Amino acid sequence: MAVDAAVRTAPAARTGRRRLRWSIGMLALPISAWLVFFFIVPFGLILWYSFGDKPSLYVTHSNDVLSLDRYVEAVSPAFLQTFGRTLEISVVGTVLCLLIAFPMAYWMATKLSPRRQGLVLALVLIPYWTNFLVRTIGWQITLSPEGFLSQGLQALGLRDGPLEVLYTMPAVQLGVVYNYLPLMILPLYVALERMDHRLLEASRDLGANAIESFRRVTLPLALPGIAAGMLLVFVPLMGDYITPSVLGGAQGGMVGQMVAGQFSRAQNWALGSAMAIILMLAILATVVIFALVARLVGSVLGRVQRVDLSAALPQQGGAR
Amino acid sequence: MTEVRTDATTTGPADGTGAASTAGTTAASAAGTRSTAVPAAGAAPIARKRRRSLTDVLIAAWGVLGLLFLFFPVIVIIVYSFNTGRQLRSWDGFGFSSYENALSNPTIVATIQVSILAAAGSAVVSTILGSLAGVALARRPSARWVGWLTLLLGLIMVTPEIVNAVSLLPWFVDLSNTWNLDIFAVGQVRLIVAHSLFSCAVVTFIVRARMAGVDESLEEAAADLGAPPLRRFLDITFPLMRPAVISGALLTFTLSLDNTVLSSFVSVAGSTPWPVYVFASLRSTLRPEIAAVSTLMLGLTLIALALVGLVLRRASRTTGNASGGLAATLVG
Repeated sequence: MAVDAAVRTAPAARTGRRRLRWSIGMLALPISAWLVFFFIVPFGLILWYSFGDKPSLYVTHSNDVLSLDRYVEAVSPAFLQTFGRTLEISVVGTVLCLLIAFPMAYWMATKLSPRRQGLVLALVLIPYWTNFLVRTIGWQITLSPEGFLSQGLQALGLRDGPLEVLYTMPAVQLGVVYNYLPLMILPLYVALERMDHRLLEASRDLGANAIESFRRVTLPLALPGIAAGMLLVFVPLMGDYITPSVLGGAQGGMVGQMVAGQFSRAQNWALGSAMAIILMLAILATVVIFALVARLVGSVLGRVQRVDLSAALPQQGGAR
Repeated sequence: MTEVRTDATTTGPADGTGAASTAGTTAASAAGTRSTAVPAAGAAPIARKRRRSLTDVLIAAWGVLGLLFLFFPVIVIIVYSFNTGRQLRSWDGFGFSSYENALSNPTIVATIQVSILAAAGSAVVSTILGSLAGVALARRPSARWVGWLTLLLGLIMVTPEIVNAVSLLPWFVDLSNTWNLDIFAVGQVRLIVAHSLFSCAVVTFIVRARMAGVDESLEEAAADLGAPPLRRFLDITFPLMRPAVISGALLTFTLSLDNTVLSSFVSVAGSTPWPVYVFASLRSTLRPEIAAVSTLMLGLTLIALALVGLVLRRASRTTGNASGGLAATLVG
């Protein structure tokens, strides 16, 4: 701003600069048009369909009569049961991802030399860039009753019969934790890597033990990474459709499959649209609630930390 | 005391350089405390060292186990790609028949061609759109439209793929049937458009991150000297953002190759991409050819990743840590 005011001496330069500013703003126009046309409008379309109905067997949708009936139809007991299961798998999956990823990210960011960090980061990314579906099929091979794991466990006498995990909810839970783990590791790693290690040494020198300095220094600094990771895992997990299709069978279905089924098999676009809107609203609501809670926790933590610090400082001085 | 010492010596070499460097910092901080604190606490640094190296080993073990977990199904797929049996799941014998069958199967080869074409197309579209937007966002962070565009890009990032897919299908049908825009009946076009949506958001964030740290005065100087906008862009802006553009393009290419959900909804008979073929064969029989092609594609992806790494490493000479940069660009 100050620089702007300083160079605003010659009127010719000013118009040139204004033209530059205007033309740079124009660069955002193509993407906006593209996204409005292929993202916002289609979303508006299914929002519109969700107020219609499926009039006959051979028609996918009709908006002659507008009502909220599809939403009432969508929240059937079967849908609610699947929705509850989806929510459970998503919440448990997100927490498990966090618990597994945090020590890994901590190890990568604080215990390895920069050169090794790059190597390990690449190792984390390589499986992630292998086809999602194919990796899930890898788990299907592993967990199948006639697979090598099942036979190995039986040969070792650890199991009497074949493995009965495939096509159950635990199989889906394992699959989603596996599939979304890198999305948790990366933001945690970024947050921890940016952490100033001198802060930890300072906290040690001031007499904090390992647990205390973890709680007071590492954890607060990692909070943005934790929040980003939970968001990155939870959102796609709620809408996952591949993992339950490969590993879930009849017992481990998720909402994404129900939405897809209405569009592909049942050809009921009106009902499918209502389900998709409900899913989307549920995810948005969860994200908003999560953000509010995170902000609340953050402000409370910040206040506690500040009070602790000011209370601790004179004590330290007195001891010396 | 002897127990403490053996613990420290056995754990030291297992951890390699990591343990050595942390041991160094421990020694340094221990020396620091000893110089300022009372000398009576002579035993404390040793006890602390033992505890730290034990947790170090546990954390390192956890990290290695985590990496093994991440690689496990990939290794399973690679091993099973050499299965000579008819079904992927039941191991028959070791051989290369699946690779021969895969490469001589015209359906499989066609699906891979469709996938690569779609990936290239969506990489081009999303790189152009995302790069332009990234520059605009980096240069005008306080303009009025920035909030709206960020909201739009954020919405795309948080919309589950399945919702995106089911909303694009009726829209493409509408565009081609009701509006007579025949181009949207072409499977390849549908794939490119569908894959470009998430990808152009990714490119936007990568390019914005790169350009946020670059001074605008060069472009202003060129403008004051009378260079036309296109010339300014080609001579000054583009060279500055090239690393971000290249890594963005490669990332969107692999994202498109990976896409299953959107593709299975918008693709048309005759232009089935590879993941959709795999997804369809889940319902009939999974044959070892699928593992063979996946292994080949993993090789291709590794080459692409290596290129990204190379580009970012070269870029990092000016911007800092390469690995942190890669992760940061992926996360946004």
